[in-house]
Amino acid sequence: MDFIRTIAIAASGLRAQAGRIRVISENIANADSLAQTPGGDPYRRRVPTFTSQLDRSLEARTVALGPVRPDTSDFKIKHEPGNPAADAAGNVKYPNVNPLIEMTDMRDAQRSYEANVNLIGATRAMIQRTLDILKG
Amino acid sequence: MAITDIPIFAMLRTKMQWHQQRQQVLAQNVANADTPHYRPVDLVDPKFQLAAPGPATVQLARTDPGHLAGFTDAGNFSNNPNQYQVRPAGNAVTLEDEMIKVAANQMDYQAATQLYSRSLGLLKMAVGR
Repeated sequence: MDFIRTIAIAASGLRAQAGRIRVISENIANADSLAQTPGGDPYRRRVPTFTSQLDRSLEARTVALGPVRPDTSDFKIKHEPGNPAADAAGNVKYPNVNPLIEMTDMRDAQRSYEANVNLIGATRAMIQRTLDILKG
Repeated sequence: MAITDIPIFAMLRTKMQWHQQRQQVLAQNVANADTPHYRPVDLVDPKFQLAAPGPATVQLARTDPGHLAGFTDAGNFSNNPNQYQVRPAGNAVTLEDEMIKVAANQMDYQAATQLYSRSLGLLKMAVGR
């Protein structure tokens, strides 16, 4: 039945957006994770990607979370000689996580997630209408 | 004669199948709302073959050469310019547009199913129940 396929496609969207939220929360949680060794690299921000693939059983293009790539931008450097993670010159590398960007990304993911949820709701209502024919 | 051979039921069945398929296509668009380089797709409107041609276009009578011709062709207006914006990632899905399409699809489907059950009611009336 086509409606079940519709729900399966929307569910793939839900899964992908939930995975995206997971990566975002990982970034926010590690916004202050410094290196374990003096002068080492701290947590590097990770960027979720999406890939579209043709699902042959559904005959539609579903979405999936692609490889999670590292953000290659520079680390923030602060001068803190007393910090255990500081290098010889007293500089500490902080993660390249910008909370503002993460919050914006999270809102975007939330919005897409809700759109998929709405679609499932609409499809369920349509299935209900079909069943209402039986009540006649 | 099977119930599905009755023209109204056959037509409604076609319409309902079209809306089912469209719902699937719209779900695909929404699911791929963040996929790079994805362009939204939609179904072509169904066309029912009418036995008789549509109503003849009515012309306004012009009794004086100074009269304006008036609008006889509604085709001048278009409410669906088929425009979309492409975001930097190459994705062109607008969630708002897709949601409006989903709502419209749902309402049209509901209209079809209600017509269907109403037609069934007519049949029941004909057999005297």
